[in-house]
Amino acid sequence: MATKILVAVKQVTALDEDFEIRADGRDVDADFFLRDLNEWDDFSLEEAVKIKEAGGEVEVVVVTVGPEEADESLRKCLAKGADRAIRIWDEAMEGSDSQAIARVLAAAVQQQNPDLVFAGVQSSDHSFASTGIALAGLLNWPHAAVVNQFEFSPGATQAVIRRELEGGVLQMMSIDLPAVLSIQLGINTPRYASLRTIKQAAAKPIEQVGLSDLGLSATDVGEAGSASRVRRMYIPEKGRAEMIEGSLAEQAAKLAAIIKEFKGASA
Amino acid sequence: MIDPQSITRTLFEDFHPIAVTVFYAIGYGAIGIFCWGTWIQIRKYRYGSAYAAVGTFISRFKQMTAALLTHRTLVRRDHAAGGAHGLIFFGFALLFIGTSTITVEYDVLKPLTGMRFWYGDFYLWFSLVLDVAGLMLGGGLAFMMWRRGWLKPPKLSYVRPDRTPTDPDYDRSGYQREDWAFLWSLVIIAVTGFILEAVRLVWLQGRPEVWDYRWWSPVGAAFAIGMRAIGLSAEAAGMIRSGLWWFHGLIALAFIALIPFTKIKHIFTASASLMLRDPLAAQRLPRVPDAQESAGFSYITDLNWKQLLHLDACTKCGRCHEACPANATGAPLSPRDVILSLREFANKTLASGTLPDQAELDIHGKSPGQVSMETLWSCRTCMACVEICPVAVEHIPIIVQMRRKLVEAGDMDPLLTKTLQTIAKTGNSFGESKRKRGSWTKALATPIKDARKEAVDYLWFVGDYASFDPRNQKVSQTFAGLLQEAKVDFGLLYDSEQNAGNDVRRVGEEGLYDLLATANIEAMKNAQFNTIVTTDPHSFNTIRNEYGDFGGHFEIQHYTTLLRELLVSGRLTVTKPLGYRVTFHDPCHLGRFNKGYDAPREILKLIGCELIDMKRCRDNSFCCGAGGGRIWIPDPVGVEKPAQNRIREAAVIEGLEVYVVSCPKDLTMFEDAVKTTGNEGQFVVRELIELVREAVASPVALEAPVEELADG
Ligand code: SF4
Ligand code: SF4
Repeated sequence: MATKILVAVKQVTALDEDFEIRADGRDVDADFFLRDLNEWDDFSLEEAVKIKEAGGEVEVVVVTVGPEEADESLRKCLAKGADRAIRIWDEAMEGSDSQAIARVLAAAVQQQNPDLVFAGVQSSDHSFASTGIALAGLLNWPHAAVVNQFEFSPGATQAVIRRELEGGVLQMMSIDLPAVLSIQLGINTPRYASLRTIKQAAAKPIEQVGLSDLGLSATDVGEAGSASRVRRMYIPEKGRAEMIEGSLAEQAAKLAAIIKEFKGASA
Repeated sequence: MIDPQSITRTLFEDFHPIAVTVFYAIGYGAIGIFCWGTWIQIRKYRYGSAYAAVGTFISRFKQMTAALLTHRTLVRRDHAAGGAHGLIFFGFALLFIGTSTITVEYDVLKPLTGMRFWYGDFYLWFSLVLDVAGLMLGGGLAFMMWRRGWLKPPKLSYVRPDRTPTDPDYDRSGYQREDWAFLWSLVIIAVTGFILEAVRLVWLQGRPEVWDYRWWSPVGAAFAIGMRAIGLSAEAAGMIRSGLWWFHGLIALAFIALIPFTKIKHIFTASASLMLRDPLAAQRLPRVPDAQESAGFSYITDLNWKQLLHLDACTKCGRCHEACPANATGAPLSPRDVILSLREFANKTLASGTLPDQAELDIHGKSPGQVSMETLWSCRTCMACVEICPVAVEHIPIIVQMRRKLVEAGDMDPLLTKTLQTIAKTGNSFGESKRKRGSWTKALATPIKDARKEAVDYLWFVGDYASFDPRNQKVSQTFAGLLQEAKVDFGLLYDSEQNAGNDVRRVGEEGLYDLLATANIEAMKNAQFNTIVTTDPHSFNTIRNEYGDFGGHFEIQHYTTLLRELLVSGRLTVTKPLGYRVTFHDPCHLGRFNKGYDAPREILKLIGCELIDMKRCRDNSFCCGAGGGRIWIPDPVGVEKPAQNRIREAAVIEGLEVYVVSCPKDLTMFEDAVKTTGNEGQFVVRELIELVREAVASPVALEAPVEELADG
């Protein structure tokens, strides 16, 4: 039986120069979004495609939760070698946090029944770094986060992985399948998708999946299904920094003066 | 009175009929081998993909004939070798035509109609002309041998920059043997021809119709007199004649038979190549048909038949090798070797009636005959090779087509990958926001019109560097000031302008080029203007030569022609002739690509500069190294960069004050190179626009004085 790898990807937004916050103060004005495939997902997709190219029967399915604009990122994935692409969306999913997204993905995983799920360690825009692990929790599957090396031969029931821990320590472990892994940058070198291949990928279909197709209701997603809610988004006041120069004695004197100034004491 | 009919040469005199038959048999055999070999070559070309030649057959034929008769392409930058080739070419051609007339009379006219013309005055003139032709041939050959054997110009060394001494195809010594064999065989044919002429005179000295007219073949006569002086008798001469006759005849026939199999075939392939010359080969790259599965060349059979023929036309003259800036600075690329590798590859894989497995047709790699990606990425698409090749080999389309394949496979420098992704995302190579494209205009006292909103006379296409690079932004501001003072009605596309795509295309990212070109064309079509003017030669080239293929037909000028116009018409007045001693660097895309050599020079004259051209100028200008996307790929450390090589060339000009450029990328490359070569303080690099600014009085005070900019 073919090995199926599901790669969960996200279309992230980078902010254009001099952006503005939306009128309701809860997000950046969409006019200033520059959309692209999340950088981490580039690596997790590459890892899946590499397994496929190494031989054996492997199917790589990319799945994303997002509105129509996200098709562009899916096409990029198809151009890079994914076999199928699924986009899940419903208006009600607007405002979902990583918990709610994980719930949607879990439903999709149950339908697709893959052997492996790859997610990026985090997304470059919201940086929750929790979707993959939340997904594993919902599925109750073995999981590993921040994977930076992966060894697996299609059809095997186990994979050997290496994880990055704090302080430069690495951990080697084996993990039973099916499993959820969150993939770290640098695990491979993602390939370049030429614009021509992306254009050609436009001919491949993108499967559209809605809320009810997954057996979910509006209360499972969006703000209702989220554990957190954005109250306000704002640009913090710029801090101040100053380089103190001069001889050691001069530097000490200057520092003392600054401290006194902040304390409000007279010099 | 001697009967003119008897003043001739009796063919096969004293030959046994069987000998004549044998000779004819060998002759037909030689022609048969020639035809067979020719067919093998043609069959090889037929494996190439389709190609429709540009222009009518007549016009192409005329162009080829003109090139051959004037030897224009051969004498350029190498008068001696070109001249010697001319002697060989015309000598050989006359001898060939002469010999053919004998055949026409002896084997066609006489047997069919009984007519003869090869006697009397015609014969005598014929003898004289052929003797002179033989001398020309010999003289040319002697020079070439001297050149190869003693002068040994570096361009004739076949040692390759893209291989190491342990590689089997490192120095291609086989080619050298072939070169010498070719020269010697011609020498032997020519010398034995003369000796044959002489021994015949000695042999037939008793016949007045022969001996009395001996000086009509002066070389033969001189030899004959020498032979008689050393006591050669008529009988002995007759004997030598029959032996030598066969020797001379057999070598000549072998020469003919070997044409299709050796370098001699350049007689035909080079002529055909010249006939198929595409004058815009480098300027306008081929589109990838939408239906084509993958872009670019992966296999030898992806080359079109014309390109396969070009491979065979190369005479290894080394001119492209010598002109190539990549090769000159130690990069693993020689355009000659790319051509020769592919030729060897084609000869190996396409020689038989059936094609080998596709895997064996792959031209990418490091095996003999293959071209490595390091080689392909070293090219700066500067066109120096295409421009100088005497036989119209077009290297750039082949290199770019091969790069297209590399791009599709993602085989490129990570920084280049990043840049391409950035351009795809933001429309510029700086990764700046689209909105900021026009930000540089904010420093101007008078705003520039938005050509998307109101009609203008000139649409100024600014390009990435002049829009985003801080140093070049100053130049853009200066140019805007000049246009405003000259009351030129102009506008910008602002954030609708994107990278023009010239270099993206030359990198081989055709899909991205398509996207950029289409977007720009659309923006241009939505604006109202008469002419485009651009400060960027790269944009100039692609808009002028390539946008047409994507539906964008616009009139476009490089800023140098517009400034010249403004200065000549008096709309800008020179108030302070500069008197600087300057040199001018011809940007590849303005000069070689689009022949814009004169406008910048005339401007320099108008503003009172003394121009001292570098040795490599105009069509021989030396690339700054930024072309073909190389500006986005880091150069290896520790080796000389092309821009440094160029600055060192300029530095020898005595009293040089300003190194003038007219391309934003040049400004960046050369300002850097002046510093890294330790020439800072000796002379400065300046945009021509800045010099014009300095020479033309400004009614409006500029924000920053130009002086300051040049030092900054
Ligand atoms: S285009 Fe320039 S860099 Fe490229 S091979 Fe030709 S001469 Fe060399
Ligand atoms: S490609 Fe042209 S210029 Fe280069 S070596 Fe061959 S004939 Fe000479």
